[in-house]
Amino acid sequence: MSNTKEILSLSVEIGDVLLRSGGEIYRVEDTILHILNAFGIHDYDVYVLSNGIFASANEDREDACSIIRHVPLGDVHLGKIAAINQLSREICAHECDVQEAWARLDACKNLPFQKPLIQKICCGIGCACFCSIFGGKPLDAFFALLLGFFLQHMRLTQRVRGASNFFIDIIGSAFLTASSLILLNMRLPVLQDKIVIGSIVPLLPGIALTTSIRDLFNGDYLSGAIHLLDALLTAMCIAIGVGTVMILYRNIPGGVPLP
Amino acid sequence: MILQFILAMIATSSFAVLFCVPKKQFLFSSLTGALGWISYLIFCKLGCGIVTASLLATFFLTIISRFFAALRKNPVTLYLVTGIFTLVPGAGIYYASYYFIIGDMASFAAKGTETFKIAGAITIGIIFGFSIPQKLFHALTASC
Repeated sequence: MSNTKEILSLSVEIGDVLLRSGGEIYRVEDTILHILNAFGIHDYDVYVLSNGIFASANEDREDACSIIRHVPLGDVHLGKIAAINQLSREICAHECDVQEAWARLDACKNLPFQKPLIQKICCGIGCACFCSIFGGKPLDAFFALLLGFFLQHMRLTQRVRGASNFFIDIIGSAFLTASSLILLNMRLPVLQDKIVIGSIVPLLPGIALTTSIRDLFNGDYLSGAIHLLDALLTAMCIAIGVGTVMILYRNIPGGVPLP
Repeated sequence: MILQFILAMIATSSFAVLFCVPKKQFLFSSLTGALGWISYLIFCKLGCGIVTASLLATFFLTIISRFFAALRKNPVTLYLVTGIFTLVPGAGIYYASYYFIIGDMASFAAKGTETFKIAGAITIGIIFGFSIPQKLFHALTASC
């Protein structure tokens, strides 16, 4: 069998897409192993970290092959995870040969993100709903909608410029706090804290926290620790953004006093 | 309560759009989030503290997402990740930094520890939820 290399690159490439879109380590390892088994390679070693894949196959044969991949943390795309899951199911059921799998993988890779406008609108609606379930009045929810819209706009433009996630989190939460304080100072009957709490939700490290817990639970301590650190730092960045604006506000004379 | 349910559903589904959940799974991921939030409210009403309610609600949320995952033959991440956002302690982070800034150290300590406790409760809830053997979910979906 001389196509060890092709099969190994296929499975590692599939793992790469999965890891990049926010899959947990266990799922990535499991998928790669299943695909290798399905194509008849049984002598292999696969080691996956939250930003890298190391794999080798058929080491004692002539066509031995090993691959190292660096996988930077990407944007979460759950649709890709679902599509890859379906693909690997079909490969394991031997319904799909190597050539077809490559074509399908390319289709999965090119699944688009939502259009920016839709992202912004959805972010706004989400913020408004979160604001009202956390105790905001309809007026607060309306402002949370606007803030959520602009927050997503800002995140998208900053991401294009290549700003780091921490910077985006700090600037984003500072922007939300500042805008809510401006609204408060326009003497509008708003609950300033509820607006911030509602519109801050898109910045929260929900995915990092969940992934890290699941990695730790599966015994992948290193990857779990990386994601946990990510979650903690994100929370701290939000606190810094909120705090900085609050300090500035308290040092500016005049203005509506905070409750 | 019904209004809360609907709002939580809309909130979760709009986040599902942000994370590009496939269209066929929208209903299920938004149901997960709404059920998680409602169970949190119910546990709060029953007299559990915020932390205990978070733990129980996360546990419940994890079970529901695993059930949907088995039912719809999709990765559990699709439902869990979008649903968890209703329970992540964003308010805690905000109030903790707010009290820290205005110098109310007693409230800061209370809020800060509460936020950490909620994060811990979510952790334990998810771990408990994943400790249930997968066979049970297969059996449950087979009987559906």
